[in-house]
Amino acid sequence: MDLSLEKLLFNLNTLAELGEEITSPKDFTRVVKSALFMVMGSFFVSKGAIFQFDPDRKIFHPIASKGIGDAKGLSFSVDDLALREFVKHGKPVSVASRDYPANLLGPARVGLEKIGASLIAWLVVKDEILGMIAINEKYSGEAFTVYDHQLLSVMAQHIAFSLHSHTLLMKLMNKYNENQALYNNLRRIYYDTIHAFAASIDAKDAYTRGHSHRVSAYSAVLAREMGWEGDDIEGIRIAGLLHDIGKIAIDKSIINKASPLTSNECRELNSHPVVGYEILSKIKFPWKGVPMMTRNHHEKVDGTGYPDRLKKADIPIGARIMALVDAFDAMTTDRPYRPRLSFKEAMEEIRDNFGKQFDPDVVRPFLSVIKKEVLGEVESPSITPLLQEHLDCATVERLLGSFPSASMQA
Amino acid sequence: MKRHKNCREAGDSVILYPDNYINDIEGEKLEDMCDAFIARGFKKIIIDFANTDLINSIGVSILIGIIEKVRDKKGVVAFSSLNAVNRDIFNIVGLTRHISVYEDDEQAVAAQSERVLM
Repeated sequence: MDLSLEKLLFNLNTLAELGEEITSPKDFTRVVKSALFMVMGSFFVSKGAIFQFDPDRKIFHPIASKGIGDAKGLSFSVDDLALREFVKHGKPVSVASRDYPANLLGPARVGLEKIGASLIAWLVVKDEILGMIAINEKYSGEAFTVYDHQLLSVMAQHIAFSLHSHTLLMKLMNKYNENQALYNNLRRIYYDTIHAFAASIDAKDAYTRGHSHRVSAYSAVLAREMGWEGDDIEGIRIAGLLHDIGKIAIDKSIINKASPLTSNECRELNSHPVVGYEILSKIKFPWKGVPMMTRNHHEKVDGTGYPDRLKKADIPIGARIMALVDAFDAMTTDRPYRPRLSFKEAMEEIRDNFGKQFDPDVVRPFLSVIKKEVLGEVESPSITPLLQEHLDCATVERLLGSFPSASMQA
Repeated sequence: MKRHKNCREAGDSVILYPDNYINDIEGEKLEDMCDAFIARGFKKIIIDFANTDLINSIGVSILIGIIEKVRDKKGVVAFSSLNAVNRDIFNIVGLTRHISVYEDDEQAVAAQSERVLM
């Protein structure tokens, strides 16, 4: 074997570069193309291609090519038996040869000859064929030597590992995408179910249609204004949808009664937070606090609410948020026993109960977010579009200014 | 890109000045540039390696692609300003057997201008 030191060094350098290239985080298509160019440059050939084996369709299809024009449509198959023989043989194969194992190429030979392939090497990892590299004859016209075969084998091994890693990564990506799709589907079903529940709650009372959705939307926007993030906002959004689920167990005639309730009816109606809690506490929600927000959304910060008569610090913050927005929505929509209050009247009611029924630490950010929406400082307002009246800046500023400031409160 | 402006026309020859980017698959753009000159009727392509420190196997494969394309159009490719390392590499892979090599681009242009192509 006549091999100069310079040639050895050049090939060694190419192998080092090939190793570097296939372990680089570059785009796979680019890595394969660079690898092909390296092989072609090493053997001084003008045409070459790297094919990937698709085990499902049993075909080799090109993933990189040079000098053979448009290779996209070019693909061919090799039968399983032949592939096993090629793996066993483990060396590059001269396409023109009619000897074993080249004689096993079958119809693939036609495709390979069409692109001028002279020498092929299989890309094999753990006895599994992942692809093939094909190059035409040397530009110099010289024949491929035993050393060339050895060098091509080593380069093919490098490329095979890269292809193997990429295939594994793709399989993982596909699994991940499948799981993601399943998860999204489940999530959608979950949300649809919760929305259906919310709709069924609201359907018990013609007057409260959309109440749960509004409480959900108001709670979420208020929580965000108070600095909540991600899953916590999602949790209160869900709690908002389900906060009245206990009303499912309450007689419809009580819910829709226009005249004052008897003490028994009042007791039954006021049991809905506990009933709701009992229903929801059996569900393992991915968000924390949903059952407790439901249970305590009728508590008052002065301790006169129900069912647990908790005072401010003992009421979960989510329940304090919901207590405010639930009352706000109840005031600003028609009820069987009274027409809706105007925004001004509702705000006066909230102001009158500031620090008694409602938590000032919750009311202030609520006022702040309403102000931002009215002033057009919010890209997608959530509260004002749901109100049944138009709010002007001056009225809102004046109303909000009538609330005690934080310093006065202190 | 500045790189792609690294060329010069001299009579019926065109001189390309690749730097080290020829060692990356981006160097394929050099082939595209050649295509463009061939399409304009240029058949004498000189590649000057004054700014190329070291050619690797990718660079060699790109050069073969250029040589093949120019030869398909019955044109000629010549190299100039090869440093000792690159000259050795071209010798190793057998490139110098197919290409005329000149000391510098001016010498290459002078030699090509005397050449008559069919």
